[in-house]
Amino acid sequence: MTSMTNKLTAAAVLLFIAVAGAASLINAVISGDKDNIAALPENSGQGYGSELEAAAAEKFAGRDGWIAFGSRVDSAMKGNIVNGVYVADDRLISAEGVSRKDLSRSVGYINSFAQAYDGAVYFAAVPTSAGVYGDKLPEHISRGAEKQLIDKLCGGLDTSIRCIDAYDLMKMMSDERIYFRSDTKWTMYGAYCVYRTVIQKLGSQPVSYDKYHIRHVTDQFYGDLYRKTLYMKCEPDILDIYEYSEGAEVLSCTGYDNDGYVEQIGLYDEEALESDDMYSLYLGGEYPLVRIRTDLNNDRHILVIGSRCAASFVPFLIQHYSEVTFVRPELMDRPLSDFLYPDDYEQTLFLFGIDSVTDSGLKYIEMR
Amino acid sequence: MEYSSLLFIYAFFPLSLAAYYAVPAKFRDIVMLLLSMVFSGLFGIGFLVLLMVYTLVNYICGRVCGALRGRKSRSALIPFAAGMTFDIAAVFIFRVSCFSWLTRAMHFPEGFFPIGISLFTLSAVGYLADVCTGKQKAEKNYVRFALFIMMFPRLFMGPVLRYDIFTRILRSRKCSMQELSTGFSIFIKGLAKKVIAADTLYSMYSTVKVSDVKAISAGTAWLGITAYMLCLYFTLSGVADMGVGIGYCFGFRFPQSFNYPMFSSRIRYFAAKWHVQVIHWFRKYITRPLTARVSSRYVRKLVFLLAWALLGYWYGFDLSSAVWGMLMGAAIILENRFITSKTLKATGIIYTFVLTVLFAVFLAGDSVTGSVDYLLAMLGRTHALADGLTVYLLKSYLVVMLMTMYASTDLFRNMMLRSGTARIRNTLGAISPVSMVIVLIICTALIAYTGSSEMQIIKL
Repeated sequence: MTSMTNKLTAAAVLLFIAVAGAASLINAVISGDKDNIAALPENSGQGYGSELEAAAAEKFAGRDGWIAFGSRVDSAMKGNIVNGVYVADDRLISAEGVSRKDLSRSVGYINSFAQAYDGAVYFAAVPTSAGVYGDKLPEHISRGAEKQLIDKLCGGLDTSIRCIDAYDLMKMMSDERIYFRSDTKWTMYGAYCVYRTVIQKLGSQPVSYDKYHIRHVTDQFYGDLYRKTLYMKCEPDILDIYEYSEGAEVLSCTGYDNDGYVEQIGLYDEEALESDDMYSLYLGGEYPLVRIRTDLNNDRHILVIGSRCAASFVPFLIQHYSEVTFVRPELMDRPLSDFLYPDDYEQTLFLFGIDSVTDSGLKYIEMR
Repeated sequence: MEYSSLLFIYAFFPLSLAAYYAVPAKFRDIVMLLLSMVFSGLFGIGFLVLLMVYTLVNYICGRVCGALRGRKSRSALIPFAAGMTFDIAAVFIFRVSCFSWLTRAMHFPEGFFPIGISLFTLSAVGYLADVCTGKQKAEKNYVRFALFIMMFPRLFMGPVLRYDIFTRILRSRKCSMQELSTGFSIFIKGLAKKVIAADTLYSMYSTVKVSDVKAISAGTAWLGITAYMLCLYFTLSGVADMGVGIGYCFGFRFPQSFNYPMFSSRIRYFAAKWHVQVIHWFRKYITRPLTARVSSRYVRKLVFLLAWALLGYWYGFDLSSAVWGMLMGAAIILENRFITSKTLKATGIIYTFVLTVLFAVFLAGDSVTGSVDYLLAMLGRTHALADGLTVYLLKSYLVVMLMTMYASTDLFRNMMLRSGTARIRNTLGAISPVSMVIVLIICTALIAYTGSSEMQIIKL
């Protein structure tokens, strides 16, 4: 290479690196997340580098554009699998599979809860969209793995726990709009389909579908799988709200954080539709505990311990209980007994997405 | 923090270049050491402390060894043996899983791995051996010695150098636009090897790896292990190139470790071009000393074989990897004995490629029995030449495979070198800056989601 070419190459690369680096720094400052810059991230044991790397990726200038471009290059090279997501003709499907790690530990926590608890315990594990639409995945990605995992989970549970099969139910309904195209979670209709079965097991009759007034609050929902790929041909999804005007009224809906801070919220937080996390529409935000009181006088109380996907299920329960308490162990940093007395509830329903059932937060539900 | 991460490329690398060039030349070694400490510290304080203790122990052993050697040559063996035991114990503790209780007892975090330990152990042991035998004076300058062990451009993939060569490179450093340009070019080439080629091939390989080895067709098994071999090459040479490129940007002209070994026409040529300095280290410090006073041809061959087995073990720290090394050594011995120079080059390339791919089954396998199972699959255990997965792999990855196969050869480089006309060279020169930035953009886009290229086919 000539001297001029050398200078040009060095200058071009340096300029590009300097501009992109400076723009990312400015982006990080402008985005207002000053804590990330001022303080070193928490050291998780693998060094600060990995946390800083994640922060650098998060604040990288033009991140969405980079990811969208990277997705195109990736899918051209890797046969439609982008960042662990399979781009099928009509939907995005996670190709990463569900971890079996810590499964027996989770089963142990649930069993120990059931053994110390006086009421009836029910368990339902909800497959992800990959579990139901696995036949769209390339042959090598293990199909039916979620079914096996759910069976294994139910097989390990204490005999006093009634296991409800949500997998076969969802599989049967797979032609319906039960899962989002751009997300691993079920739609509210998917939740309704499972509710019909679950509530009968819990001893009530479900509210029929035609009694609900269904409102499409947005048709611009892009879920977690979309955010991984930014695949531009992905159609946005619709978020629904189910309203039953003749049914029970919500008297109060209260969110609690770990420090006991209380906030009055609604079953549906439509302000979340203006945020990046539209799914927070259901029981708004990230509360470890949400308590809903209704005007029903049946004195029936239910404790729902579940993952995020259960948030769109809980609104169906208010037609049957005077109090519904929804707990998300993944958001808890202290034992469940610090929040409530489980024995105050005659029924407890574990409702987890199969991808969240091994969450470490489950340790907090153990009762001693 | 990987070299192939946004944090490194767009923050650490430019800032460290700025810091390095902002100080007068006489302080640059200290700045480089401080930068290396920051770089290591980002992997965890434990790693930084380990590196500093490791450096100090080897420095002291080297000094004591050097001092004793002047008086009594035998007594110099004591610090040498102590240093070598420490170095080898360190590498075993962190690389062999049965010692994980010891790392836990030492309060290292779960999953802690001192990256590069296999390489800087070779450097340290080689240095102590040279000091002990009088081929090298013990280093008195601690900063320079610490750089030898923990300089960040060499940390991941070497190159493993003799101490005198390392100091020669330090002394003859040249900071110019020429060096910067060459450095960026090599770095971006290495980045592309890792992010574009190796990561894609890793996806292909892992697709086969997660399948039931007893059920896959021969075609799938061959495609899987070919992807593994190419992925291994692009990972190792990619990271090595990035390190060399970074070194050039700081003015250090480190030699390259891989010289287009794939598609060599003989196994011995493959071995001569694969991880050059590491194989040279094993020859210099294992094979030669052990065979120096041996006249028997068979014993020499046996030592050669064992040295290769040791090299294989060094890669994976398991029996299966040692079998890979032994097979490579045996193939070289047999090749020297039976293959004449008259064998056609094309035939040689095919036979070398097939054998290296077959042997790689042992390098890829977790156990010897697992590797044998895989070999049986390659030989058609299921009586099926191809299955659905073979078709899927070919449909999805054929173009990538062919492109990476081409990129792993020296055909393009030779074409450039032989392009006689000044017009072609000028054209290539003119597009060089643009092409470098384009490749950097593509690599950045590919790592934008996770922030780094995380797939690691091998840990050294």
